[in-house]
Amino acid sequence: MQLQEKKMADVLIVRPLEKRIDAVTAMDFKQKMSDWIDSGNRRIVLNLSEVDFIDSSGLGAIISGLKKVGNEGNLVICVVKETVMSLFRLTRMNRVFDIFPSEEEALMAFSEKV
Amino acid sequence: MIRLMIESRLENVPLIGGAIRGIADMLSIDAINSHHLELCVVEAVTNVTKHAYHSEAGHLVEVDILVYPDRLTFRVCDSGESMDLSKVAPLDFDPFKVETLPERGMGVFILKSIMDEISYEVVNGQNVLIMSKYLKIKEHSA
Repeated sequence: MQLQEKKMADVLIVRPLEKRIDAVTAMDFKQKMSDWIDSGNRRIVLNLSEVDFIDSSGLGAIISGLKKVGNEGNLVICVVKETVMSLFRLTRMNRVFDIFPSEEEALMAFSEKV
Repeated sequence: MIRLMIESRLENVPLIGGAIRGIADMLSIDAINSHHLELCVVEAVTNVTKHAYHSEAGHLVEVDILVYPDRLTFRVCDSGESMDLSKVAPLDFDPFKVETLPERGMGVFILKSIMDEISYEVVNGQNVLIMSKYLKIKEHSA
């Protein structure tokens, strides 16, 4: 799965470049996130601006990333399309993840927690 | 009725999703409902591929779409291992306790949350999941 990654201070920003995080792409996504977390990244912004569709496999992979960063870190989400957001609401995962309208606001939330 | 058939490969599932989205678009269904319909069919077909057929290729997954004036009904059929909808665990977690968050098993919950009617039966060795969403469907050409 194609993922763009960049670092802003100690925050890793991950932006999937594919439109779907689903049963086809979820395992690869989960593995890449796991590798980044294993290499020490604990503050992660997941920018979903390119993503049109997430199914339960994709959501499970994102949740896996949140669990892996652990208590000393966080995985926040930004730029979620309304259709994708409906899945977060349906599953109540909007109460689990911090979701921001923009990447800038997601980064500010991390800087406020320093 | 519209009938779609795919081989039991995960990479075929988005094609079914695209077809559902296209049909919903032609029926002038709004974006959120269209997305939900695609999501439900994708979840159901993924479940068949992964669980009924144990991720084995070479099997048939059939999706029938029935268009009524007040609803859309989807029938997802397979000849793999049957499931028991009632035995699927509910989605239960504490949003403040990360360790309780599920990473799998949310598909049936999604179907039950979005669809207005859902049933599962085994007929002559065929598993048939039937789900309906009540929506006002604009008249279309046959």
